[in-house]
Amino acid sequence: MPELRGTTKGPVLTRWFGTDNLHTLDVYEKLGGYGAMRKALTTMNPDQIVQEVKDSGLRGRGGADFSTGVKWSLMPKESALPMHLVVNADESEPGSAKDRYLMENSPHMLLEGIGIAAFAIRSHQAWIYIRGEYDGPYERLVTAIGEMKKKGYIGPKPFGADWPLDVRIFRGHGAYICGEEGALLESLEGKRAQPRAWKPPYPAQKGVWNRPTTVNNVETISTVPWIIENGGAAYAKLGTEKSHGTRMFTVSGHVQRPGNYEMEIGKTYRDLIEGLAGGALPGHTIKAWWPGGSSSPVMPGDLLDTTTDLDGVKNVANLKSHPQPPLNMGGRAFATMGGSGGVIVMDESFCMVKAAHRLLQFYAHESCGKCTPCRVGGNWAVRAYERILSGEGGTEDLGILDRIQDGLQAGRCLCGLGDAAGWVIASTLTHYRSEYEEHALHNVCSAEMAAVNATSPLAGRTNA
Amino acid sequence: MGVLSEHVIEEIRGLPAQFPDIRSAVMPALDLAQEHVGYLSPEAMSEVAELLKLDPGYVQGVATFYTLFHTEPVGKHRMYLCTNISCKLRGADDLLAHAMQSVGVGGQSEVSADGLFSVEAVECLGACEYAPMMRLDHSYHYDLTAEKIDALIAERKNVLPIHGEVPAKPAEGPPAAPAKPARKRAAAPRKKKADA
Ligand SMILES: Cc1cc2nc3c(=O)[nH]c(=O)nc-3n(C[C@H](O)[C@H](O)[C@H](O)COP(=O)(O)O)c2cc1C
Ligand code: FES
Repeated sequence: MPELRGTTKGPVLTRWFGTDNLHTLDVYEKLGGYGAMRKALTTMNPDQIVQEVKDSGLRGRGGADFSTGVKWSLMPKESALPMHLVVNADESEPGSAKDRYLMENSPHMLLEGIGIAAFAIRSHQAWIYIRGEYDGPYERLVTAIGEMKKKGYIGPKPFGADWPLDVRIFRGHGAYICGEEGALLESLEGKRAQPRAWKPPYPAQKGVWNRPTTVNNVETISTVPWIIENGGAAYAKLGTEKSHGTRMFTVSGHVQRPGNYEMEIGKTYRDLIEGLAGGALPGHTIKAWWPGGSSSPVMPGDLLDTTTDLDGVKNVANLKSHPQPPLNMGGRAFATMGGSGGVIVMDESFCMVKAAHRLLQFYAHESCGKCTPCRVGGNWAVRAYERILSGEGGTEDLGILDRIQDGLQAGRCLCGLGDAAGWVIASTLTHYRSEYEEHALHNVCSAEMAAVNATSPLAGRTNA
Repeated sequence: MGVLSEHVIEEIRGLPAQFPDIRSAVMPALDLAQEHVGYLSPEAMSEVAELLKLDPGYVQGVATFYTLFHTEPVGKHRMYLCTNISCKLRGADDLLAHAMQSVGVGGQSEVSADGLFSVEAVECLGACEYAPMMRLDHSYHYDLTAEKIDALIAERKNVLPIHGEVPAKPAEGPPAAPAKPARKRAAAPRKKKADA
């Protein structure tokens, strides 16, 4: 294992991190692990668990912030067909590594959460859909499942309860879109991963193999044991009025201590980026940051005091004196979002047009091709960026980018991938318009010039 | 006389029973075939289709959708270098150029002359706190530098006589490229003349 970069002994998820061999069942259990699953299966019924999770206020950590307890309560109480819990371990959002951190350090925390969640939604078979590149976490989970089976925690009567449990792993094969829950279920069914057409039906009615299904993120499920052990009310005491608890953030890019940090929700991004992650590299200043993976609209460097509250972060008032980008989420204007918690930090030595170009390449490459605006828009945008960056662009290209972002947003695409691509263009073009103009009109890159003059050890390599 | 061996065929035959629907077995089956053959040749794909009693076009459609399936030959060792934003901010593009030059490939579809390596620029691998990073075959390598990449290449060139964990010393002689190419490069570089 490499050096651990991130929170150890944090309040909830990482409370035991840093303990030697935490990934083994023995150590995990000695610290108190599996107490919550035992409690749930032997002293509670499914409805009580759902209620406890509702009381906790836990909202999904996969990016959409949806209430976990409410999602579970949408599952039918009786079903002729088997029902499934599907754990989304596809983690492919650029800038996000926290699910990997959780799985490789504490696989049993996720598995204990799965045991509780599956019981709560009356499912006997859970699937973990893990991205194919995660060999290390996969091995950890396979070993951990083996340990559980030996103990009987997975099997016909976990903790003596008359309630058989089976947990299986399905490996993905490299496609960002598999993280989108409809596409994930298609992939699990052995198909090309394309999002399902408009909802309803929701997965709780018709999910994988047409069976009632609940899809939850790794971090969401990993939080459940703590909630059951300490009670929903205790979790709700952490955080803000409407965003309870703690969450994991991955901080990467131009900071002194990149890592996966657990922080109470409601503190600011400054607490995270400058406090926990050590702030900008020596001699540099933070020019931009993405709060929740590349799909969350970019924020200017002087707005680090923005709250991490899941609703508060969206407030356009956060932008203060900055112009407001034309961002649209389900018909509403917003500033940015907490997303997956993958915080990407960029300093003045890197060109925003080049960063946006790279991200558009990503969205164009990962578009599944099912809906037209996303399939076509992403590629058009990439070409416009290429013209601008090669010095062959002009103001008309900025107009083209503006039209493309508009065509990608506001639910015009089948899933959130198109919106995300549009938000990258809209937010960077508004907040960093002068850099776009420099390139398009004068073929000049001031970030590159600054980088050449800078002294940081990373400086010479940052603008390739 | 197909391309899949008996035991791979046996394993693939056992897959459908693990799923409520036979189609769910297609990715694990392709995975086994790819591990065995090295890549998904048309023959490998049609054998998988036959074993699972699925339409060959369907199987091919799945194989071509996912980037971890290779339908063209690849090197014995596959370097998947992350070039997405967090790694790019920390110098991934130069490392990609360096890796390609070190193993002697000019593009992402090429295999090195000795058949040992192919290099692919990939999207975020979910280890951004260790940027720049790559996946080499089935393991992650962190805080990459040109020197680290060269050492990993050398290790695989000078296959160790015993199963030792001691990495072989990088081969003496001229290093493949300067650690820091002086000029910026495109993401998929063409073969370059000395540009340091
Ligand atoms: C393009 C796209 C990619 C996504 N990728 C992921 C992912 O990698 N992991 C994840 O948990 N959720 C991802 N999501 C969100 C899922 O669709 C879904 O909302 C989530 O897994 C639900 O779990 P939660 O309620 O616990 O957050 C993605 C969504 C979109 C639109
Ligand atoms: S951007 Fe390279 S691992 Fe995430």
